[in-house]
Amino acid sequence: MSAIASKPAGGAEMPVMGAAIAVVLLLAVLGIGFGLTIAGIFPMAAFYSLIGIIIGGMLVTFSVHLVPVGGAPAAMGQAPGIATGVTMLAAGAGLAGLFKGAWAAQFSYPVALGTGAIGGALLMAITCMLVNVTYVFAMGIPAASGKVNKDPLTGDTQPEYKSQGTEGHGLPFISYVGGVLGGLIGGFGGTLIYLSLYDAYLTGIPALMGTDVESVMPLIVSIAGIFAIGMFLVNAVLTAYNITGTIEGPHDPKFKRFPRAIVASAVASALSGLLALLIIVPVPF
Amino acid sequence: MTVKVEASHDAIPHNTLLAVGIVGSIICIYLTYLNTITGLELFSFFGGLGAVIALIWGTSTIKRLCSYGIGTGVPSAGMVAFGAGIIAMLLGTKFGIASPIAALIIAAVAGAAFGFLADNVLNMKIPVLMQSLAELSIIGALTILGFTAMATGDFTFSALSAGTISIFGFAMSSANASYLGGGIIAVAFMLGAIAIQHPFNAALGPSNTQDRTLMLAAECGFLSMIIMAVISFAFIAVGAALVGLLIAIIGWGYTYTQFIELSKRDAAAWLDAKPILETEA
Repeated sequence: MSAIASKPAGGAEMPVMGAAIAVVLLLAVLGIGFGLTIAGIFPMAAFYSLIGIIIGGMLVTFSVHLVPVGGAPAAMGQAPGIATGVTMLAAGAGLAGLFKGAWAAQFSYPVALGTGAIGGALLMAITCMLVNVTYVFAMGIPAASGKVNKDPLTGDTQPEYKSQGTEGHGLPFISYVGGVLGGLIGGFGGTLIYLSLYDAYLTGIPALMGTDVESVMPLIVSIAGIFAIGMFLVNAVLTAYNITGTIEGPHDPKFKRFPRAIVASAVASALSGLLALLIIVPVPF
Repeated sequence: MTVKVEASHDAIPHNTLLAVGIVGSIICIYLTYLNTITGLELFSFFGGLGAVIALIWGTSTIKRLCSYGIGTGVPSAGMVAFGAGIIAMLLGTKFGIASPIAALIIAAVAGAAFGFLADNVLNMKIPVLMQSLAELSIIGALTILGFTAMATGDFTFSALSAGTISIFGFAMSSANASYLGGGIIAVAFMLGAIAIQHPFNAALGPSNTQDRTLMLAAECGFLSMIIMAVISFAFIAVGAALVGLLIAIIGWGYTYTQFIELSKRDAAAWLDAKPILETEA
């Protein structure tokens, strides 16, 4: 259905009215978070966690725009990129980073964030390499971009390698670099969301259940992990809706749409972050 | 202007499915509360039935949303449903007996906000987007809550975070053995997400029919319910878990046979397939 009905690529302009309402929503959510902190319901750490979640969500959204997504056309060698959807690729890269970062959470912030970023980048690097191995050695087609005449990094010309009737194929150098950068930033952002939640729960959940940290450690890790996955998926899908279909990487004209996705992601992360942090507030039931 | 392309005309209108889905699912999840009232664990399987009802409604919602061509594939709608749903569901479990209602309200608010962002900030311009994402978030929350109630026999945060292990016959409380601490919720999340992504994605096409798509949704729901029934052996009495497993297997067997029947019916009718009709919305 979607292939028939999909509309031509829209512009990159940000709708003024929508963006204004979004900023008001963001300020409202931040205000509620700050109000709860002032009222003593949230510890101060929880408010910092909310800021961390918002920054993490915005990084995830930005990173997804860098990843070369080919979708179904790429599976037939008719468009450049990795042959799957935006959501699946973003989830793959981000969650690989998040899991590695969660493993390193016991060390320090820089170690955990670095491990998460490398985890995401490694997954994307291996995926991109195997995509090109499949295209070049199994399908017998060279890598060529359909959106630009020259690769912005290497200066290689593209059109003479592009088959007629296609939008390009394979993963040109710039797309590969974009994919690895996307994995790096996405893994960093996903780990930042996880660590922010983990820090807030480290004091919040023992206080809520009236026990020490050691006995509720599995709960802290599990709840922070599942919330981080939920927020990551929400951000990834909102980005997918912004890209609508395929993107080649940072040189694609669609890349210019990223500011409005970042506005949307900031609001979405703030709202879901506030809901996730509210779990440490005791409820009289 | 976004063009609406319907896969097929629906015999049952979407609003009927919405009403039946929301009421049926909430009632089924509340029926598991009989566990607390009677002290038995026999009524846990109602949670799974509630999840299946929510999944059938969700498939109809996804069909309605995807008739506008969202351009990113059908599974993305399932992922956002469960991403928002799990946040609402976990926060909702803190409200004790009011948990299902609280999860529903939180999910509706969060989903509507995400729908607004996608529609107005990301310029999707799809008339039903806001309502669909709100519905999908509720479906995600109710499905995970239903599977949770089925596995543990309860849907309150204190019950989900408490677990006991027995060492040399002594019962000791351990968060590791609880539903949340053991990470079982991630399994429930994925089982529900796969069950909601698959049916419309598999059944769309020129000869799409509503009854076949919804039958596949029920079949996927019961398949996930079988796995949740197996998991429930860890948390509830063996007899109660066996009842759940039996109901899930019978339900899956029935819906699977029905789905094969409907597929055979539609396969014969495929010969006179017509081009897809394009209607201006």
